[in-house]
Amino acid sequence: MATDIQQELERAAETTELPWLGIDLRRTALGIGGLALFVTLWWIASLFQPDFILPSPLAVAERFVSEAASGEMTTALGQSVRHWIPGTIVGTLLGVATGIALGWSRLLDDISSPVVRTLRPVPPLALIGFAIAWFGINHTGAAFIIAVGAFWINFYASYGGVEGVSDDLLDVARSLGVQSDLELIRSVVIPAASPEIMTGIRTGIGRCWMLVVASEIFGVPGIGRRILRASNNLQVDLVITYILVLSLMFLLVDTVFRAVQKRVLVWR
Amino acid sequence: MAINHAGGSTVRVEQVDKQYDSKQGTVQALADINFEVSPGEFICLVGPSGCGKTTLFRILAGLEPPTSGEVILNGSTVTKPNTDMGIVFQEYHLFPWQTVRENVAFGLKKANVPKDERSQRVQQLIDLVGLEGFEDSYPKELSGGMKQRVALARALAIDPSLLLMDEPFGAVDAQTREMLQDELIDIWRETNKTVLFVTHDVEEAVKLADRVVVMGRNPGSIRGIVEIDLVRPRSRADPEFGEYYERVRDLIHT
Repeated sequence: MATDIQQELERAAETTELPWLGIDLRRTALGIGGLALFVTLWWIASLFQPDFILPSPLAVAERFVSEAASGEMTTALGQSVRHWIPGTIVGTLLGVATGIALGWSRLLDDISSPVVRTLRPVPPLALIGFAIAWFGINHTGAAFIIAVGAFWINFYASYGGVEGVSDDLLDVARSLGVQSDLELIRSVVIPAASPEIMTGIRTGIGRCWMLVVASEIFGVPGIGRRILRASNNLQVDLVITYILVLSLMFLLVDTVFRAVQKRVLVWR
Repeated sequence: MAINHAGGSTVRVEQVDKQYDSKQGTVQALADINFEVSPGEFICLVGPSGCGKTTLFRILAGLEPPTSGEVILNGSTVTKPNTDMGIVFQEYHLFPWQTVRENVAFGLKKANVPKDERSQRVQQLIDLVGLEGFEDSYPKELSGGMKQRVALARALAIDPSLLLMDEPFGAVDAQTREMLQDELIDIWRETNKTVLFVTHDVEEAVKLADRVVVMGRNPGSIRGIVEIDLVRPRSRADPEFGEYYERVRDLIHT
């Protein structure tokens, strides 16, 4: 009896999996069910609330479509991307490089430790004054805020990754003729720490989408600015519309990066 | 065969002492270690756990300095790992992000061996350790015995005159171990390298070595050196094998 059920479950599992697409139908179906439940609850809740408190899912969908059709959405997205991309790239590169350097060199780590510990708890938002003073109310200023956020995540991920590289691998590399530190870092430390570094980059990319809103708080145009303006006008449907845009962008980038990560870390 | 040009090396271990500072005070890990290895010799260092044989291995490999005394390899003092020696660890320590081929090629690449020559040599070594067909596998896809073969091929690639092995077959099952032992003897004969092989397994030592350096603990020191005068391949069933086994074991326990 019990084995019958088990067999049936196994058969079910076999038929619902499409491994060649990497899609698990059972999980997908459950996910869609959960999403439907969430939207239904939202819809029920919205029946008893005015639109400026909670608009119905349908109202949001209508707004989403009209906003997309009017071209406003692409404009806002294009503006945000202009600081999201440079901010993420610069912050990631600096964070990874600094993390590797300090994770590797005890000397550099000791020298910089007090400064690092002082600066670390500063939230990127607190640096808006500097962003305006140094770069102005423009994409560069917003990119600066985003870069700061990306920097710390990547710094700590890479630092931890490098610290965790086994001494034995370094010994082996030395016995095989690797002489300089730079060569050791290039051929052993970075590949060995690459899983942590990749996780840092991926976390950073997500965090940077969140920071897009914060980085536009002082007047730089983009999705965040739209959300803030719509909030002030109590256009909650518009707020949710742009929140959805952010989520979709995050999902898109994260999916692409996950595929890259899988390919780079195929050896794991 | 191209794998074969460096002859074995001479190793002299002179008055090596090693002390550690611990919470309980100074610990004498190794005391007055002296022995010499001739070119092409196969030496096993055998002893119970805690006798300092791994510490001695690390000193021989230049991974750790002795407190006093020195290790002299081909006339110069060992202070850090160098390409005169190939090191093989119990836990393999393959580069997990590299395929079998890339692992074996690592040292050759660092030595700037031209690509054609490199790939030819890598293939020879992979064949030598019996891993044809697994060139593009990653370490995670290999069994323990296969990983150790890769580690051995990787160490041999740079053509060291001395092969240093720390309990290399300690983590594989008994059958694989026996196979690897036989293969190691074949490779050793073919390449004329000097081999320093650390083990806690008396039988393994008697089976492999020209001479067995027997260590005991408290403090870690040499109890005796036993020359094994048996033709290879050696069989445990041979009564003489049994006598050597008893002699080495008795030395450990004195």
